[in-house]
Amino acid sequence: MSTSSNNKKTAIPQLVLRPEFEVSDIEQAQTSEVARKLSTLERIWNIDGVRKFVILLSLVVAWQAYTVGFDVEPLMLPSFWVSFSTLIRDLFYSDLIWKVWFSIKVLLIGYSAGLFLAAVLILWATVSRFGSDFISMATAMFNPLPAIALLPLAMLWFGLGTASLVFVLIHSVLWAVALSTHSGFEGVSQTLRMIGRNYGLKGFGYVWKILVPAALPSILAGMKIGWAFAWRTLIGAELVFGASSGSGGLGWYIFESSQNIDTDGVFAGLFMVILIGFFVENVIFRNIERRTVNRWGMQR
Amino acid sequence: MDKIPDVLVRPEFEASDIGKASTADVARKLTLIERISDMHSVRKLSILVIVVIVWEVYSRLSGVSELILPKFSATALALADAVFSEQLLYMVWNSITVLISGYAIGIVIATLLTTAAATTRFGSDILSTLTAMLNPLPAIALLPLALLWFGLGADAIIFTLLHSVIWPVALNAHVGFMSVSETQRMVGRNYGLRGIVYVVKLLIPAAFPQILMGLKIGWSYAWRTLIAAELVFGGSISDTSEGASGGLGWFIFVSQMDLRIAYVFAGLFMVILVGVVVETVVFNKIESLTVRKWGMQAR
Repeated sequence: MSTSSNNKKTAIPQLVLRPEFEVSDIEQAQTSEVARKLSTLERIWNIDGVRKFVILLSLVVAWQAYTVGFDVEPLMLPSFWVSFSTLIRDLFYSDLIWKVWFSIKVLLIGYSAGLFLAAVLILWATVSRFGSDFISMATAMFNPLPAIALLPLAMLWFGLGTASLVFVLIHSVLWAVALSTHSGFEGVSQTLRMIGRNYGLKGFGYVWKILVPAALPSILAGMKIGWAFAWRTLIGAELVFGASSGSGGLGWYIFESSQNIDTDGVFAGLFMVILIGFFVENVIFRNIERRTVNRWGMQR
Repeated sequence: MDKIPDVLVRPEFEASDIGKASTADVARKLTLIERISDMHSVRKLSILVIVVIVWEVYSRLSGVSELILPKFSATALALADAVFSEQLLYMVWNSITVLISGYAIGIVIATLLTTAAATTRFGSDILSTLTAMLNPLPAIALLPLALLWFGLGADAIIFTLLHSVIWPVALNAHVGFMSVSETQRMVGRNYGLRGIVYVVKLLIPAAFPQILMGLKIGWSYAWRTLIAAELVFGGSISDTSEGASGGLGWFIFVSQMDLRIAYVFAGLFMVILVGVVVETVVFNKIESLTVRKWGMQAR
């Protein structure tokens, strides 16, 4: 073939043909175990809940052993068992449960009022540019201001009592929710907006049917942050003036116990705070997320 | 078979009576006022000015008591007076030094925890158990205990600040590490990165947006906790003896106790100012130098 082609091309080197051969002495492949059955112990240890429970248990045991073994002054650090039994005692035989209920009631009022105001502000911001400017200005200014710093003013304006607690709670919820909802709305893609306009959605329908579902991950994030701020603010505020509103809340219980150097009472109050916080964050919000943004595939 | 119907041919025609299209202005030059009011900063500034004017006019006309709502001008004078003759800046500095030391130590501890969590399964379990338990616990609720353990003073505040910083930072960093894509992890392992180097060179840059978010949340919790601690336990934690001065929260607390409401507002202005500076200047700068430059986050 090369001879018939153009002379200017270099000759293609001849292919070297090696004789075929067959290796006959390959041993059988030596593999270690590919899949080994786990022992029961290993399988139990692989369950997430078990490991976490063991960690929790060992923390409790370490605490108990430290306080008992080193004979720590119970005023400084009561043992786990004493704190826990104080919690049970105050919960069932004293009025701790009412104090908790009082805190939660105030929190719910403040939180829902804050959410409502945030919704009104956001609606205003979506329909007018002035509203949008106002929101971004107000959130930039008030979001970094800790709500608790307004407490002295609130006490002056609304007197001691639930009203001023609700006022600071609203302040702590409103700006966090408004900020993240507003930025969520601004991040809704142009395509989705145009679809909404194509369907003739306007005003409230447009916000409710297009913007809210599309921005739900950031709205939920804002609500979670708002809840965290509100919870912190409430406990902080009650540490000062829970008593003046009659029954007092959970924060007041902690404060009272610490004033009486009733340290096991302080720990019992902290247990309760952890329990409520854990419930709200890991049960309520987790479920809302699972039913909405996770199911809709907007967030892992 | 069906017969194909004949194609109907319609006669061509020309519409002769269509008038010339009349359009409105397609592009109109904006007037000077319109152009000015389109500027972002002008609109925001005017909102601020309007709020201030409304405040001033309301407090002058309605005859509301100075103790309930001081005039804006009185507040501004009080701020100037506090800055120049009552060492307000020094108090702010006191607060900020406490805040920074708490924040820095908190970040170091959070880093250790997350590193342990990123490299071993046991560490990861410990971290997730602790954060699930302690993150919902407001740091301020620990202050009574801190006062008992560390006595009155900066140590107790720093302890509560630590608590308010560690959990959000560790939680966000851990979630960020978990969601680093498998591809990037395998690249890292391919390069033979292990342990601390693996965390520093691979996980931290890949999860930086999340880490930064944790740092921001940690900062806002710490700032709230600090102000609350100084305010709520004002007298009992600040060293108020001769020559020493407390922090910003203490200033607000004292002014309120003395019913100098204009000074309370001045203190609030200062709180807002510090917060705005940290959130918009410091964190925005960090964002623009890292995640936005690397194209990991829009805007």
